[in-house]
Amino acid sequence: MRALTNLDFVVGQGQIVGLIGPNGSGKTTLFNAITGFYPADSGRIIYKGKEITRCRPYEIARLGIARTFQIVRPLLGLSVLDNVTTAVLYGREAIGSMGKGRGRALELLKFVRLDDKKDVPAQRLVAAEKKRLELARALALKPEFLLLDEVFSGLNDTEIQDAIKLIFRIRDELGVTIFLIEHVMKAVMGTCEKIFVIQYGVKLAEGKPEEVSRDPAVIEAYLGKKRAC
Amino acid sequence: MSLSYIIESIISGLLLGGIYALLSVGFGLTWGTMKVLNISHAVFAVLGAFVAYWMFVKAGIDPLISLPLLATLLFLVGAVVYRLVIRPVQKAKDVIMASMVATFGVAIVVENAMSFFWRPDPRILKPPYAGSSIFIGDMAISQGPLIGFIMAVSAITLLYLFLHHTYIGKGVQATWQNPMGAALVGINPGRVSLITFALSIASAGLAGVAMAMIYAFYPSVQSVWTMFVFLVTIVGGVGSVIGTGLAGLLIGFIIGLCAAFLPFVWVNVLLFALLLAILLFKPEGLFGA
Amino acid sequence: MKTRKYILVLLAMFVLFAFPIVKPPLFFLTLCFSVFMFVGLTESWNLLGGYTGYVSLGHIAFFSTGAYTTAVCMNRLGLSPFVTAPLGGIFSAILAALVGYPVLRLKGAYFTISSLLLAVVMQLIFMNWDFVGSSTGLWYKLLPVSIEMNRLLFYEAMLILATITTLVVRYVERSKFGAGLVAIREDEDVAKTMGINTPWLKMKAFILGAFLAGTVGGIYGYYMSYVHPEVTFSMNTSLLILLMSFFGGCRTWSGPLIGAVVLSLANQLIVTFIGAEISRILYGLLLVIVIMFMPDGVIQYAREAFAREKG
Repeated sequence: MRALTNLDFVVGQGQIVGLIGPNGSGKTTLFNAITGFYPADSGRIIYKGKEITRCRPYEIARLGIARTFQIVRPLLGLSVLDNVTTAVLYGREAIGSMGKGRGRALELLKFVRLDDKKDVPAQRLVAAEKKRLELARALALKPEFLLLDEVFSGLNDTEIQDAIKLIFRIRDELGVTIFLIEHVMKAVMGTCEKIFVIQYGVKLAEGKPEEVSRDPAVIEAYLGKKRAC
Repeated sequence: MSLSYIIESIISGLLLGGIYALLSVGFGLTWGTMKVLNISHAVFAVLGAFVAYWMFVKAGIDPLISLPLLATLLFLVGAVVYRLVIRPVQKAKDVIMASMVATFGVAIVVENAMSFFWRPDPRILKPPYAGSSIFIGDMAISQGPLIGFIMAVSAITLLYLFLHHTYIGKGVQATWQNPMGAALVGINPGRVSLITFALSIASAGLAGVAMAMIYAFYPSVQSVWTMFVFLVTIVGGVGSVIGTGLAGLLIGFIIGLCAAFLPFVWVNVLLFALLLAILLFKPEGLFGA
Repeated sequence: MKTRKYILVLLAMFVLFAFPIVKPPLFFLTLCFSVFMFVGLTESWNLLGGYTGYVSLGHIAFFSTGAYTTAVCMNRLGLSPFVTAPLGGIFSAILAALVGYPVLRLKGAYFTISSLLLAVVMQLIFMNWDFVGSSTGLWYKLLPVSIEMNRLLFYEAMLILATITTLVVRYVERSKFGAGLVAIREDEDVAKTMGINTPWLKMKAFILGAFLAGTVGGIYGYYMSYVHPEVTFSMNTSLLILLMSFFGGCRTWSGPLIGAVVLSLANQLIVTFIGAEISRILYGLLLVIVIMFMPDGVIQYAREAFAREKG
């Protein structure tokens, strides 16, 4: 059974692009394919002009592609600081010493505003904090391309606004291209300059947020046909 | 080397394989349903062998007749071990590791207790019918293994029927596939675990009796039997009764075929190489569900 | 105060090193030797076992490789055990490199069973290989020094090895390498997305652990003056290693140390004064009880208890 068929996406450098679609349409599968966890049977994934279709996950990370997970996966047994420090040490900034690594990790924690919790074991964080930790860890890689998988889920309105600001800071201050999977429409509309819609593993639509939200095929995919017969 | 010699060897192997299947089915069951890696599984097979041996030698009770009593006894032993050791271990963060370690402790205790009380000398269970052979053409099939095989097939069939056609058995399967869902519909996971574990120990005991009629047994043989349990379980796929049965037959076939040509040692090496290959390329087993 | 801790440690080390000078009875020297050996084995095991979370039941294979290397090289080439022990370590490392490549790709219980398989297959092979004495075993040629000198030399050698192994593991724990291993244990997929070359890191831990265990084995073999597949490859020892690390707590460098010291002391004492079988029964019971009450190891339990006292 095919999870993804004939997808054709282009994400330009410096853009914030969204990927939306009903549950089960293959969005996370696409992320897994891009990051090397699922091998693609056919087709190519090209990053900065080079093909990465057959690369292994850690090689893809080393090329500068970072990701977060839909259900956050912090390293539970470690403290917040240790989580990010490990990520920094193995990131692309070539920091080898533990001391310097911790210093850089602290900066990143300040960036996502989690520095006051640096010694807390990761498993004791609340959901929103875990998401920020996941973000800090992804940024520790010093990525050029960031894949965010439903970072806005479960956040309240204030948290959503804060997260939107953070996303823009990541793009503007750190120069990272962002590709995000989202269900929270407010967040999608507030951040993305371009949106792809997929359903059942097939691309349904592509374009600016306002256009896509008015596309009848998209509306039907989300809301179902208006009439039964 | 005549064809009938080879076929005889293969049949011997198949019979042994069926018994290995019974020996292993309980292990796979607890691993699959409870994530408990019971390294002491085979030691209870040896215990079963001893119980049958003492009943035969001291009270003259034929092993086949003592089976129901033996199964009940080992079921109770299994229940006790579950309550004392397994249940606390199920609360660990890493149940597989904790259960491996704890059951290793149990294995050491039981093996050395048997050694201490009953001495480590090899014994064998030789009821009068076990010595003779049935002849088909010019092939001899030893009755001991044959009876053991019939025992094994019956026991495995009973187990299969229990799992698929009784209320409790279906509860076991439900808990395995979806522990939370099963609990939500009122199935008591503790009770299910207890029954599963106790059944698994009882089945090991029965297998021990079958083994004892073919091979000499002694307390420390349990580690050798443990290797075969691993082999059959992994080849067959963890938790699948039918898979384990088929795997037992396959292993038995290989043993029979190779024993006709190779020295015994190489047969073992071959089997373990097979195990490694399966682990590397098809860890879910050849016949797994 | 940190300086006070260092002074205490140095003092303890001095006492340990100087111990043979007071000419203690052989029993005590052997006891200590056995403790040091288990310290070396558990610490080296813990690199892959505790930090990385890949529990190996085949560590004994590397230990035995070292023991046999010393036996064969001493008997046939007349080399000193102080040369053959590191050589044994190197052979073990090579073995680890060869075996690790396929086996480290397996996860959890499958890896554990494969590692056990390694030890069992090696035992089978050595039982039938005349070059290493097959089922008769090999006796070591003794060095041309007095018996007391022998014991002294090897006591100190094993103590040095135990110290080196512990220090190496402690160093790794605090290094980038250690952080990577822990990440693998916590969540291997996530570790990959962090850019950690997981297969390579696991290999390094496996090979380093094998080298240390092989060297320990090289010295041990000589002290026991005899190797035999059933004794040297004993599955019992492999599991003892696992249990000692688990008992002490496999997430720190001090855990295996404590586990090895406590449990091998207990084991030796019980075996000597009560009897082998009873000791093993008690030992097994002890382990079951420990796991029941402290499923994450003694150190972890102590830490949590301590934290609860404070808070």
